[in-house]
Amino acid sequence: MQDIVVIGGGPAGLSLLAALKSSPKTRHLSCTLIEGSSLQSVRDFLVEPPEEYTNRVVSLTPKSVEFMQQKVGNWDFIKQDRVRFYDNIVAYDSQDNDARIEFDATQIGAGVLAVMCENINIQSSLIGRLNELGMDDSTTILDNTKVIDITSPIHHDLDQHDLNEIDVNSGKSDLDWPIVKLSTGESIQARLLVGCDGYNSPVRKFAGIESRGWQYNTFGVVATIKMQYEDHRSIGWQRFLSTGPLAILPLSEDNATIVWSSTPWLSELLLKVNPDIFPHLINAGMTLEEVDLKYIYSMLDKDPNDFKVLDEIQWRLSKIDIKSLEENYPLPVVELIQNSRARFPLKLSHADTYVAPRVALVGDAAHTIHPLAGQGLNMGQSDVGFLVDALEKGIERGLDIGSTMVLDSYVANAWPGNHMMLGVCDKLHKVFTTDFGPVVLLRGLGIKSLNMAESVKDLMIKAISGR
Amino acid sequence: MFARSALGRSDQLVTALNSQKRQFVLTAATTALGSLLFSEDNRLASQMEKGLLHNKNAENSASIPNTANKFFSRPEAEYPGHVPLYTFEKMLMFLGSSVGAYTHPERNEFIVALGESTAITPVLRRLQHQMLSDPVGRQILRERPRMTSTSLDLEHLRELPDNTIGKTYVKWLDKEGVSPDTRVEVKYIDNEELAYIYQRYRECHDFYHAITGLPIIIEGEISVKVFEYMNIGIPMSGLGALFAPLRLKKSQKERLYNIYYPWAFKSGLNSKPLINVYWENILEEDIDEFRKTMGIEQPPDLRNLRKEYFKKLKEAKKIV
Repeated sequence: MQDIVVIGGGPAGLSLLAALKSSPKTRHLSCTLIEGSSLQSVRDFLVEPPEEYTNRVVSLTPKSVEFMQQKVGNWDFIKQDRVRFYDNIVAYDSQDNDARIEFDATQIGAGVLAVMCENINIQSSLIGRLNELGMDDSTTILDNTKVIDITSPIHHDLDQHDLNEIDVNSGKSDLDWPIVKLSTGESIQARLLVGCDGYNSPVRKFAGIESRGWQYNTFGVVATIKMQYEDHRSIGWQRFLSTGPLAILPLSEDNATIVWSSTPWLSELLLKVNPDIFPHLINAGMTLEEVDLKYIYSMLDKDPNDFKVLDEIQWRLSKIDIKSLEENYPLPVVELIQNSRARFPLKLSHADTYVAPRVALVGDAAHTIHPLAGQGLNMGQSDVGFLVDALEKGIERGLDIGSTMVLDSYVANAWPGNHMMLGVCDKLHKVFTTDFGPVVLLRGLGIKSLNMAESVKDLMIKAISGR
Repeated sequence: MFARSALGRSDQLVTALNSQKRQFVLTAATTALGSLLFSEDNRLASQMEKGLLHNKNAENSASIPNTANKFFSRPEAEYPGHVPLYTFEKMLMFLGSSVGAYTHPERNEFIVALGESTAITPVLRRLQHQMLSDPVGRQILRERPRMTSTSLDLEHLRELPDNTIGKTYVKWLDKEGVSPDTRVEVKYIDNEELAYIYQRYRECHDFYHAITGLPIIIEGEISVKVFEYMNIGIPMSGLGALFAPLRLKKSQKERLYNIYYPWAFKSGLNSKPLINVYWENILEEDIDEFRKTMGIEQPPDLRNLRKEYFKKLKEAKKIV
């Protein structure tokens, strides 16, 4: 029996565990975290990080960083040489090169707009923090352990509740706490079961919470790359192509990561293109016109090793004014880090609620979002914050932390903000992945006027950076 | 007496002196103010402020011509021979040339000016897109071939077999008595690639005549224009198709509307974009084969039709 069982050892699950253990009010709760895969690479990262960047990189808002510093306490364990702070984001439209918007955090008196950080860096910092707090009996991390089944107890006959006779393994219990059956043969009964188990959350299914949304029929292609040299401008670049946004986000030194949202066909192509052509393809994607890109894709579709495309790209690049190329576009990409390409499907989903009796959902289990604004992980962090707040309040008041009376305040605080963010990113995606003339014209007009309306932009900067 | 008169005089003198003094003060003040405002020092100071005095580096010297006349300055040319025009100038050019082209369609300068003033950027961008989407179109834009009587080697073309595109072209040139050198340079289009595209369109115009066999008399010219407009979408061709027939004779109009317009609509829309044809490279290919792959039908011979019509007319008159 445990007070809290967290399913999923991703950033959301580990953050929740570390946050619970960091709070004086919830420290005493017995917690178990269950992760299906091995966390060995995460532990190794803490001791000796690999030289190259891993390809799963996320954007953290200053608010999330603050949360990590103050509430969770894992920021000190982040490998600081592998994170990159940004004060500027430039987004522009492929169909209208003059339509660009710049978000400059210094405008609102803040130094940072976002922080790029590897997923594994966050995970390992959380492990580091948990180690620091001391892994006693009340903190258990079970990795390499799969959840086979989650069940409600068969009997919870309240007339003859004898706590000593509980036999969890048989699925019988006098308590109404959910029972988690593990691949190790063990079963754990939890006062509160928290699902940090991703988009296909078994916990959500167990609780019978409906999740609504849609597939974008789009894949996000990620890769780690090297730029020509380190760009001291600290700008995150995003170009809206008709196939989806392409973002280059510099990491430390000359490293950078890309996210290229693309149609299923294009994402497949991007994965199979010759690794020596790939950097040029990104350069083309950031600068050339749609018509050139389409032609280049079709060349590569016939032969992914067709080096003639380099010639085509060079020729079209030479048509762009060199001064504008230096000022308005990211530096050229020169190298793709081996085997760093991967793709994942993009979708929007939002659970109707995040809680049920003795169940709570956090992170991707509750919501998935288009990555164009880099908000996914931050939404998970804010979930953790609200959930811990709710539990603290419940404990203060002497309530059962599994009851919806405690959990409801978590939904009330977290859901509306997440829903708005999901909606905004969804609309942005839809407005920008069209080449329908009038829409292109309107959005160009919108971007240009937005770029001039400083006060509105300040509000947007605040929203992006989570302030 | 003398004293009185002297007194009176001195009175006059005083008043004269007074008025003279006032004039002097005013002049002196104006001069002083003027020298303050327009002094050499001021002139130098304002020159220095504009960065014209010292630091005559490349950037500054480049900006001098622009400041030389602050009421009017032309933007810099984007390519050799480019004459950048302001929008109102283009509009004036359009007005003038459209009236000119309507009243004197035989005068080339009107047609040229009308073509360039109506070749607005969106249209040219569409053509550019069409070319950039096609391998041959891209090749043309990269290699930028120009068509002249020397680049085409007309003597060589004359020796080609009868059924080749080259021979057809030369035969047409000879029949109509024109030469590829009669094409004017593009001057008023603001982007160098777009300018080339328009130049290319202009230079290829004769090939459209040659493959369709239409002569350069006004009916043939109009038919080719309709065909071109349907295929390439240059606005001037569209204007030509709309307005040019208005000033023709009834019999000419009938011929156009019943035979050549339907043909031009059909062939123009059905055939592949002609702007993407690298004429220089296919001169030795078979013309029927080419028409088939492009999807162009050949219209009836206009000159023969005219001959027949006139013959009929004569016969009719004889009978009468």
